[in-house]
Amino acid sequence: MATQTKIRKSDFHPVLRIVVYVIIGIFTILTLYPLYWLAISSLKTTTEFQLNMIGWPQNPTFRNYPSAWRLAQFSTLFLNSLFFTIVSTAAIILLSLMAGFAFAKIRSKFTGFLHGSFVIGILLTLQSIMVPLFLMVNSVGLYNTRIGVLIPYIGMGLPMAIYLCTEFIKSIPDSVVESARIDGASYFRIFSAIVVPMAKPVAITLAILNVAGVWNEFMLINILVSSDALRTLPVGILKFSGPLAADYGRQFAALMIGMIPMVVFYLIFRKQITEGVSAGAVKG
Amino acid sequence: MKKAAFWTEERRAYLILVFPAVIIYWAVMAFPTIFSFILSLTNYNGGPVFGNPDVKIVGFTHYVRMFNDKYFWISLKNNGLIMAISLFGQIPLGFLFAYVLHRKLIKFGDFFQTIIYLPAVISTIVIGRLWQSFFSPYGPFTEFMRRFNPTWENELFFDPHLAILPVLFVILWMYTGTYLIIFLANLQKIDPALIEAARIDGATEWQVLTKIILPALSGVIVTTAILAISGSLKSFDLLFAMTGGNPARRTSVLALYMYDNAFRGAPKYPLANAISVFMVLLSLILIMVVRITESRFGGRE
Repeated sequence: MATQTKIRKSDFHPVLRIVVYVIIGIFTILTLYPLYWLAISSLKTTTEFQLNMIGWPQNPTFRNYPSAWRLAQFSTLFLNSLFFTIVSTAAIILLSLMAGFAFAKIRSKFTGFLHGSFVIGILLTLQSIMVPLFLMVNSVGLYNTRIGVLIPYIGMGLPMAIYLCTEFIKSIPDSVVESARIDGASYFRIFSAIVVPMAKPVAITLAILNVAGVWNEFMLINILVSSDALRTLPVGILKFSGPLAADYGRQFAALMIGMIPMVVFYLIFRKQITEGVSAGAVKG
Repeated sequence: MKKAAFWTEERRAYLILVFPAVIIYWAVMAFPTIFSFILSLTNYNGGPVFGNPDVKIVGFTHYVRMFNDKYFWISLKNNGLIMAISLFGQIPLGFLFAYVLHRKLIKFGDFFQTIIYLPAVISTIVIGRLWQSFFSPYGPFTEFMRRFNPTWENELFFDPHLAILPVLFVILWMYTGTYLIIFLANLQKIDPALIEAARIDGATEWQVLTKIILPALSGVIVTTAILAISGSLKSFDLLFAMTGGNPARRTSVLALYMYDNAFRGAPKYPLANAISVFMVLLSLILIMVVRITESRFGGRE
């Protein structure tokens, strides 16, 4: 390994190396600096911010945080975000393991068509059907209800989840299922006793992909819900820190509150998140 | 007797296992697609859909209206710009970063990877508000420009021709990390012994790249192109939070154009449905083009 590295370095031109460092360095600064600026700005009062927009705060204060928390009703926003994220993630994992098991291990002439319809769904963008979806949810009386948000959330997560589950369960040898069948186990018994325990890795991937997706989801919940009691973090934050908000200190504190959970989640599950992203993109 | 044989345990199990996922997915994705096509041909504009005597078939008039609307073309052009920055910005940069990290050509690879992917996990709404503040007259960008030109006036978000630039920049910044991750994962699948052997035979870094790595990744490049195309049609949240499509709707995209027609001001649902159908068709056509190009030019799985 060591010698291999040496040979490589010798013909990676030093000028090229500097160019690469510069590009990657700019990218890194462009991420770290705005976050740093946001963090220090959230410690300034609005008056101080207007006088000192980019410097270190003279009297750092955390006062913006509790008042932003109260005014933007962050407790409600967090609870709703947690609710939608947990319930939709659990449902997606269960439903896609079930369907993936059937697609992978039970022979049926419908599999080609049904599984294919999910694969097309990976490429369909929900953005392109938001208005018809809204009209539909509205006309069946689910506007402004939790279930009216959950069903679309589950539906949009299913294509990728089913694709990954089917691929994973296919990799379980057929003989495992067949010998259990010969021993007289029903398909449901095989599902709960063999497939579910074995599918833990794919379930973790799905959980991570979906948590990140639903926690940050904005477009659908913004049109499917108007009541304050059902809002999630992105909607609440935009409402609070909208283009007209001139209360800079609290606005920045609200953005920090909205950002921190996902950043922590990312730093903890970095490996699993990157694995999940690449697993999800293996095949378009 | 025959009926009993039809519902074998196998078939019943299949049905029960598949049914919930299929019904939810078709209700949420497939049905609205068909529903919007039907509604786009009618004058339905709110109220009950079924048994409504006022709903009439009006043919393709809303499509004609859409194609005659200059905001449709502005939005389409912006989607095109976003697609271009994705295909020719995010993918090459993501590949470059993945390549130098994988070949360990620079130090602190892990750190750079963590930071470059970070924007992708933060809520797009927070990102949009943050960068809007950053580029606004009271943000650091203004201060930075004034270092060079003290009289510089920040009109980024007021000038209809400039306002899309910060948006494109943020899109490049946000998603390059995703492509970095995808390319890195696939680079790791290439057998290191293959590269090793080529190096021992005296191949240069450039030859390793063009003769071994790029051919091995051609399938992945097609996948990322498809992701970039469908991703660029998804653009909505960021613009919603950053510019709201303004000034004068110059930074609108198709999804935002549809949203505006349905939810801002008096609803124009038929027009919104026509836009929806157009977007679905456009994404399917673009993906087919990529697939055909792939088979024509010998990309491999």
